[in-house]
Amino acid sequence: MTQFFLIIGVAMCVLVLMCLYRATFGPTILNRAAGISAIGTKTLIVLLIMGVIYERVDMFIDISMVYALLNFLGTVVLAKYLETTGEI
Amino acid sequence: MIRDSQDVIVKTLARLLIPFVVVYALYVIMHGHHSPGGGFQGGVISAAGFILLGISYGFEETRKRMSERVAEVFSSVGVFIYGGIGVLCLILGGNFLDYGKLGKLFMVTPAEARSLGILGVELGVALAVMAVMCTIFFAIFTVGESPEDDRSEQ
Repeated sequence: MTQFFLIIGVAMCVLVLMCLYRATFGPTILNRAAGISAIGTKTLIVLLIMGVIYERVDMFIDISMVYALLNFLGTVVLAKYLETTGEI
Repeated sequence: MIRDSQDVIVKTLARLLIPFVVVYALYVIMHGHHSPGGGFQGGVISAAGFILLGISYGFEETRKRMSERVAEVFSSVGVFIYGGIGVLCLILGGNFLDYGKLGKLFMVTPAEARSLGILGVELGVALAVMAVMCTIFFAIFTVGESPEDDRSEQ
C-alpha cells in the first residue's frame, strides 16, 4: 500500500512540474494565476500522501488545511489586485 | 481602495468560509502544544479571515469590525500580555517566562501553571500577530488615500 501511495505522490510531483512550466512561461497573467493555483492544490494532495506514508496523517492534515486556505486566499487577492489596477 | 464587489461567488464563499477560518485559527492556537502551529500561525490564519473579509466586502465593512486604531491597540496589548507574563514570573522569584512560579499566584500545581502560562503567552503572540498583519494589509491596500499620505506630498 505504501508503494501505491509513493507512485501517486511521484506522479503528482511530475504534474506539479507541468503546472510550473505554465506558471513560468504563461503567455498571459491569467495563465500564471491558474498555474499557481493548480500547484497549490497538488501540493495539498502531496502533503496528505506524505502523511499516509509516514503514518502521521493527524499532523499533516492540519498543515494541508492551512495550505488550502491560504492558497484560495492568495488567488482571490491576486485576482482582486489585477481587477483594481486594470491590467487585464 | 477596495470597494464592495458585486461578485456573487466570492461574497458567498467568504461568508461561508470566514467563521471556519476564525474557529480553525483558535484551534491552531489552543493545540499549539501537541500539533503543528502555535501563536504566530494562529494569528496569521485569523488575520487571513480579516483579509478575506476586506477583499470580498470592501474596506468600509471591514473598518466596522477592525479599524486601524483597534489594530494598533491590539498589537500593543498582545505584546503587553507576552511581556507581562514574563515579568510576572520575574516578580514571583523565577527567571523571565519561568511559568512554574505562576502556580503560587493562581493556586495550581507547577505543571498546570506551565501549561496555562504557555497558553497565555501564545494568546498574546496571536493577538499581536493578527493586529500587525491587519495593519500591514490596510497600509498596503489604502496607499495614497489616507490623510497621512496627502500630508507627506505637500
